[in-house]
Amino acid sequence: MVSSNSDFAPASAGHGRYAPFPVPSGSGVVRVPAGTSLQRVFVFPDMCPDDVPAALVLAQEAKADLVFVVLPGSSARIPLTVDLAGPEAQVRLRGLFLSDGEDEVRITVTVHHRHPHCQSRQLFNGILAGKARGTFHGTVIVAPDAQGTEAYQENHNIILGEAARMETQPVLEIYADDVKCSHGATVGALDENEHFYMRSRGIPEAEARVLQILSFLSPVLDAIPDEEQRAALTARVEEAALRCTGL
Amino acid sequence: MDEREEEQLLQQITTREYKEGFVTDVRQDFIPKGLNEDIIRTISARKEEPAWLLEFRLDAFRRWQRMEMPRWPHLDLPEIDFQNIIYYAAPRKDADRPKEIDPKLEETFEKLGIPVRERAALAGVVAVDAVFDSVSVATTFRASLAEKGIIFCSFSEAVKEHPDLVRKYLASVVPPGDNYFAALNSAVFSDGSFCYIPKGVKCPMELSSYFRINAAGTGQFERTLIVADEGSSVSYMEGCTAPMRDEQQLHAAVVEIIVEKDADVKYSTVQNWYPGDEQGRGGILNLVTKRGLCRGEGSHLSWTQVETGSAVTWKYPSTILQGDHSSSEFYSVAVTNHFQQADTGTKMIHQGRDTRSRIVSKGISAGRSQNSYRGLVRMGPGAAGARNFSQCDSLLIGSLCGAHTFPDIRSLNPSAVVEHEATTSKISDEQLFYCTQRGLTAEDAVGLIVNGYAQEVLSRLPMEFAVEARALLQVSLEGSVG
Repeated sequence: MVSSNSDFAPASAGHGRYAPFPVPSGSGVVRVPAGTSLQRVFVFPDMCPDDVPAALVLAQEAKADLVFVVLPGSSARIPLTVDLAGPEAQVRLRGLFLSDGEDEVRITVTVHHRHPHCQSRQLFNGILAGKARGTFHGTVIVAPDAQGTEAYQENHNIILGEAARMETQPVLEIYADDVKCSHGATVGALDENEHFYMRSRGIPEAEARVLQILSFLSPVLDAIPDEEQRAALTARVEEAALRCTGL
Repeated sequence: MDEREEEQLLQQITTREYKEGFVTDVRQDFIPKGLNEDIIRTISARKEEPAWLLEFRLDAFRRWQRMEMPRWPHLDLPEIDFQNIIYYAAPRKDADRPKEIDPKLEETFEKLGIPVRERAALAGVVAVDAVFDSVSVATTFRASLAEKGIIFCSFSEAVKEHPDLVRKYLASVVPPGDNYFAALNSAVFSDGSFCYIPKGVKCPMELSSYFRINAAGTGQFERTLIVADEGSSVSYMEGCTAPMRDEQQLHAAVVEIIVEKDADVKYSTVQNWYPGDEQGRGGILNLVTKRGLCRGEGSHLSWTQVETGSAVTWKYPSTILQGDHSSSEFYSVAVTNHFQQADTGTKMIHQGRDTRSRIVSKGISAGRSQNSYRGLVRMGPGAAGARNFSQCDSLLIGSLCGAHTFPDIRSLNPSAVVEHEATTSKISDEQLFYCTQRGLTAEDAVGLIVNGYAQEVLSRLPMEFAVEARALLQVSLEGSVG
């Protein structure tokens, strides 16, 4: 009944001081050269886990924009480290997951701001039905020299299943003062007022639920640049959403 | 800011005084240094404790021996030599007037602004339990509180006079093996306050405990137990100070609060332990466990804390929301300057239906300090319709400090709603410019902005504390601009 202080997860960096780990290197590391940009969409279960880079290293003024789509039936593990290893680099990470049955989705994202005037934006939205489990561990580390940093981190989750559960730990570790950093995390249910609004206008229950889920996930879907791919994935998400509602 | 001004500021910092940093020269009884079963037996014997309490201590000690120092906090904790601490120090009582308070002690508390004699003429009457090192020296207004059936006394007296109540509630919220420092406290705890509010009674005055560390080489291990029975209500305040010393001193307290059906407890702390000097020498290691249990339906517990002192703060006042419709709040301002480190926050464990909690945390870091918010919100399977809202803001003053946020949200219930948001920023140049061009000094401007920033929390404090807290914020941040 009584929980202990040791419930907390360990801190990612050193104890109380800025203790940077080295810039990632080796296999599984994707480097984005200075001034270039990288754009990728990862869909699970279509992809094998090795397709996702273990780390992204961005040089000066490099840009990266990644989108993750996790559909039911895949226990996706997404461990990703983004190292902003040059000034004015920008990274944007967006992901959605729809989990059902015994799915277990784990997203572990670490964004390391080492240099001045970098930007990072993260948005992860998830739906958990059935007995699905989700975890989001997001860490943003801002080094002492990384003045002018902008870092935003958001994780929103909706639990549909009685036995589903979600854990979210959005962490900010900030060692510079001229920064704009914020994060937000929510866990909750679909809004009953929205639902009532649609039902009172004659929209069937299942359709109303699917619409709610789609609107919740749309900020991520909209980020898919290729129109054809976006339409195809939206259709798959819609189908999965219907299954998740259990109607 | 030009060089000369900077120099002046530096001068101010180095001469800045922690006004509570004096030492009282009073004859004291010590027990030998070190920690073993004999020491625990000695403490227990000194306090003339019953056998069950000694057993409780020994059990806790055996648990503690098997435990390890927690390494997860975001703190650079020095190694603590537990054998090099004196676990019990008490001011000696004169044989000719055993009932009287030593005038020197009275003077000490007067100097700290704590009345240890009843003075009804004072506006806003507060009952005080004053603890000096390991013993409580005075508890005021006991008689007038007793008329209403309220028990407010030192923990040692409660053990003697109300053993059934103590035995029933002790360790019911923080079990002896809960964590490393709670186990240590359970083994060697000295004194603290005990408070029992009977059914339906609204406590007519603020209750307050004041803890003072005086002796060198000692640690303070206080234990506080507050029980609010059905339909009762109480507001409780806690304050603390210590002398300035080069050595670090350990303070490991346990506070347990039990809130029964429809009862209401408000717990406020202004923590002003000696923070160490500007080089990071000395200061108190404040490693405490505070937890409340909202046991009954509709019970309510509110935590308010202003943390300005201590070299290291490791503290998470928590609430277990067991009763349906129970609610809890946590309001915190934590200020760190120089080399201070704070890892503080709360835990809200929702178990009952329609339980509510709200967390508002404001961290301010300056100098080379590190300030972390760490919080857990857990929605259990039974917490249908439960709600939590957390807002954690951090303010950075200077480029050498750090501000960190470690929230942990766990939901096992589809109808529970948890919302968390946090921001980190510095005082903007525009804000400073606005104030300074109207004639305020940079220092006053920062003070003003910080006070405004912390207003939401400060306004929750009882009036007696709010004034002190405002002044403390100002002092703690002295010399942080430049």
